[in-house]
Amino acid sequence: MSTGALLIWLAEVWLYVGAVVAVAFLMIGIGRIDENARGSYTFRPLLVPGVLLIWPVVLWRWASAELLGLDAVVSRDRPLRDAHRQVWIVLAVLIPLLFIVSLAVRQSPPKSGSTAVQINPTAQ
Amino acid sequence: MSVKYTPVQWNRSKIFYDFVVLALVFAYVLVFVWLAPMFMGDVKQADGAIVRARAFGTCAFLMLTVILAIGPLARLDTRFLPLLYNRRHFGVITFFVALTHVMFVINWYFDYSSTPRFEALLTSNTSYFQLLGFPFETLGLLALFALAALATTSHDFWLRFLGPRLWKSLHYAIYFAYALIVGHVAFGSLQSQTNPTFTIVTAASVLLVCGLHLAALKRERESSGHAAAGDWIRVAAVEEFDNGFAQIVRLGNGDRVAVFRHENQLSAISNACAHQNGPLGEGRIVNGYVTCPWHGFQYRLADGCSPSPFTEKVPTYALRRDGDSIFVSSKKNPPGTYVEPLTIAENA
Repeated sequence: MSTGALLIWLAEVWLYVGAVVAVAFLMIGIGRIDENARGSYTFRPLLVPGVLLIWPVVLWRWASAELLGLDAVVSRDRPLRDAHRQVWIVLAVLIPLLFIVSLAVRQSPPKSGSTAVQINPTAQ
Repeated sequence: MSVKYTPVQWNRSKIFYDFVVLALVFAYVLVFVWLAPMFMGDVKQADGAIVRARAFGTCAFLMLTVILAIGPLARLDTRFLPLLYNRRHFGVITFFVALTHVMFVINWYFDYSSTPRFEALLTSNTSYFQLLGFPFETLGLLALFALAALATTSHDFWLRFLGPRLWKSLHYAIYFAYALIVGHVAFGSLQSQTNPTFTIVTAASVLLVCGLHLAALKRERESSGHAAAGDWIRVAAVEEFDNGFAQIVRLGNGDRVAVFRHENQLSAISNACAHQNGPLGEGRIVNGYVTCPWHGFQYRLADGCSPSPFTEKVPTYALRRDGDSIFVSSKKNPPGTYVEPLTIAENA
């Protein structure tokens, strides 16, 4: 099995497990932990892709909310502003550097009007 | 939101916003396909699938550039705040444009062999240890995953379920998605361009996004000042408070407090909105409520609670006056705690 095939197989397993979690969470769990979801069903299919992608986080948050209550496990007043500053100081160097390096390694195309060189005359 | 969830929270403004974005995407793709042969020398004779792939690819890149520019622009100039209001829908549309680009690419470049298409995408180029010929497809694929994570967790449920801090952390992925896409474009399409147009557009995008973020960081640092330590932190002189607006102070632990003046009273609440941690101190007082400049969430000044039926609340802080100066307590009250406003003279 190639590395590519292995990665695709792992992705499929991830999505299958996610599908099981999505069914359980969206049919049972969501109404138990979030009062705003009780009696509201039309929005739930929109959450399926998100659960498929981050189902371990969903399971962890669902378990925490069952034990302590959703409001107790989410912090609503601790912004990430300082992290934002650090991220952009790094990216403001990294992104232009990436761009410059890509231009530095770029090969020049053949000049217009240059004649082709035949490397295997016997191929005729 | 603290009301029953709906599939999409549309209103007239958001419908107009989405319509304009979709119309611009449609127009861009049409114009690109029409004009492409004039400035894409390498695809003059090529199949239309390549032109369509590049149309959607460049469109997604430009949309991401605009999305990343909106945040710092709104911080530098409040006239851009309306663009911030519905940025999540913009992001979701961008994901679908990027996905369309990927489908065109896969269905064209990887569809004519016995190897399954997605396996071919991952295995056709594995030169990860050299810059020239680096597998730029992988960079694009990782960026698509990041955009997918953002688009699929954009519903308000996710904000409440994950909390603003974790949700924001997850949505920081957009910054790395942008870096990956710059790499994808620079080590991919730009390597074979004979016309400088896309090289110039990419350079302009990088300069714009990085420059605006650095400028916004500088502005924010200047406006919130240095972190101050102690039990009581000086905010400003009484006469420096304008009616309806706030002075923002940064505490020793990094928290920011917004001290608002409403008529002849001062009140202090957390600067972080309970919705997405938007900067409340940059908002205004509307009908007696502090209104978040990002999405319009509102809070009472005295207790930091949203008006019924909403249940959001933010921490409050005690204030005291010493001479002409106003001081705020560094001790944060639990969200929703009532604090008697500090009364100042009418003409202060």
